[in-house]
Amino acid sequence: MTFRWAMLAPVLTITGVAVGFPLGYALYLSLTDYRLTSRGAPDFVGLDNYFFVLTDPRMWNAFSNTAIYVIVAVALQTVLGLAIALALQKQKWARDLTRAMLLAPMFITPIAVGLTFRFLLNDQLGAIPAALRTIGISYDFFGPSNALVTLAFIDVWQWTPFMVLLLLAGLESIPRQPLEAARVDGASAWYTFRRVVLPLLTPVLTVAILLRSLDALKVFEYVYATTRGGPGTATETIQYFTYQTGIQFFRLGEASAVAFVLLAIVMTLIVILFRRLQRSAAR
Amino acid sequence: MSTRRRGLLASMGLATALALTISGCAGSGGTDAPASSGLGDIPTDTEGTVRILMESVPDTDIVIDLVASFNETYPGIEVEIETLAFDQMRDKLIASFQSSEPAYDLIVVDNPWMDDFVDAGFLEPLDARIDSTTDYQAEDFFQPLVDITEVDGVRYGVPFYNYALGYLYRTDLYEEAGLELPSTLDELVANVQQLTTSDRTGIAMQPQRGYKIFEEWANWLFAAGGSIYDEEGNPTLDTPEAAAALDAYIEAFTTAAPANSSNWAFDEAFRSVSSGQSASMISYNWNLPGLNNPEGASGDLAGSFALAPMPGGKQVLGSWSWAIPANSAASDAAWAFVAWITSPAVDVERVVAGGAAIRESTLSNPTVLESGYGEDYYAAIIAILSDAAPLSQGLGGEEMIQAVGTELSEAVAGTKTVEQALADAQAAVERIQR
Repeated sequence: MTFRWAMLAPVLTITGVAVGFPLGYALYLSLTDYRLTSRGAPDFVGLDNYFFVLTDPRMWNAFSNTAIYVIVAVALQTVLGLAIALALQKQKWARDLTRAMLLAPMFITPIAVGLTFRFLLNDQLGAIPAALRTIGISYDFFGPSNALVTLAFIDVWQWTPFMVLLLLAGLESIPRQPLEAARVDGASAWYTFRRVVLPLLTPVLTVAILLRSLDALKVFEYVYATTRGGPGTATETIQYFTYQTGIQFFRLGEASAVAFVLLAIVMTLIVILFRRLQRSAAR
Repeated sequence: MSTRRRGLLASMGLATALALTISGCAGSGGTDAPASSGLGDIPTDTEGTVRILMESVPDTDIVIDLVASFNETYPGIEVEIETLAFDQMRDKLIASFQSSEPAYDLIVVDNPWMDDFVDAGFLEPLDARIDSTTDYQAEDFFQPLVDITEVDGVRYGVPFYNYALGYLYRTDLYEEAGLELPSTLDELVANVQQLTTSDRTGIAMQPQRGYKIFEEWANWLFAAGGSIYDEEGNPTLDTPEAAAALDAYIEAFTTAAPANSSNWAFDEAFRSVSSGQSASMISYNWNLPGLNNPEGASGDLAGSFALAPMPGGKQVLGSWSWAIPANSAASDAAWAFVAWITSPAVDVERVVAGGAAIRESTLSNPTVLESGYGEDYYAAIIAILSDAAPLSQGLGGEEMIQAVGTELSEAVAGTKTVEQALADAQAAVERIQR
């Protein structure tokens, strides 16, 4: 064994055990009719589970709900996060206090956040609808057409600080010379932001969006704590659908197939995003 | 042999080993359980530890308080009770069933799980133990609760507590409005509409997708003269009665329930009623003591609540049962505890402490009737339990409940018509039964 392989061996072993085995096992399960209540060895069913889930309208509904949730939540977090990061960069005093307060939502467990908002947004018992009523607004936060957006807003409340953290680090690592050159040339603040800051921030922005998107894709706790996928199937996300199929209904083979379909889609998106990132970095 | 070839062989060997390991993992259930002795009368000098998994509910707290009394009879049996929230229980149970080192020797089983657990061979049959336990009076258990413990004529459980539903209402508001208790579904809808004012709704409902809406709506279905299954166990969810029940449910929801409550479950409905913002709700019978507790959530309203059977007299039955896992490491000690806690004498103690009924004789016991919840309450429970049916029967109970509950939620949300939702619910249950 060469020296480099010997040096790599520990990390390869750990990765193999921690990632490779669960992945391999899940792949194996997805090709069987394994149920959690089975006691004997499961039967091999080939790609049947894949055909079943790919032709199941509920799976695609869950996928589309998840996509809408991720796009709405991450887009809002990016815009808000960038605005707050730019404001924090200019802040002169009490910076540590402001940042500590801003980051607080990130440290609350998502299930607790979900339960808190379930009651905060409750029309009869919640503070937010009560406050809205004083200005004559009645809004059904968990109604069929609003529930998914409400969940996305809960995500925005909890995870915008994470975006702020990354973008603030990105902003503070931008070299000062291009900004000074723009100021000397008489560029307006908006022009400087659009033509200097934003291009220099693109790599950080891409990574931040990618990280948040992957995290938002895993949304489960908010759904579980508030709507249980309802009304109807309005907030049934892919993770909740997988949980129900595998854990609640015992069909672990099918649930593994759903997980692998999701993995294939996510991996494709990541590869495309990273290629674009590399191309823009090369330019 | 070249280095490359050696590497290839090593890789193939590793892949084969991994494949064998993987294929050996799935479905490798626990070791064969020690054969049950089938004894009913367990000697009082029996020694062992009984590890029990229970739900975090008031009835469990009552059982925990009784353990010390049990140890006066069985000093050598240590009882360890672990409590979990409902949603976490089943996963832990299945892991224990499948393990060669079981985590639990005694469990409680919710009725939708019973057939699946029995089908998988997870539970010990209890007929021999029940029949040979001295003075056990098994025939005294409410029959609908016993039916839930039976699969193919064999009993795999003993009733722990019921959660049959009933109509909980404010007596003062009914009197004020000059209303009689509803005897039909139309009367129920009319009553809750009449009880609705600018600052109070007539009924707090629980239309959250899945279990909650199905559990609530099934009471309306029974009140409309419908059923979930026919005599042969086939689903009967797309009948005219079911449509009438769903129409009535939606009408009550849109005209007499709190605004924007399409996602409400038990917590929200209970708070709404206990705080005086709603006049009634359909819920578990044992919520009445909680609502009428002067030190509870109702405050000044305590004492003004009453319980009645649903219009038409039939309601949804929920039941938890004691069961012994087939791989229990202490099945005799586990039965000793079950037989003791469900015995006629101890059941009286349990119900007096606020536990939900399982025996008919308990509800006619003078000690129970004088215990503070009132004869009317126990009379209502007897009426409720004498005509109640569970949400599911057969395999796939959990999936069936979720599937129907999803379709009902679609109808309430307006994303499907009543007819379409019920047709889809029927189709879903038929698919699950296959």
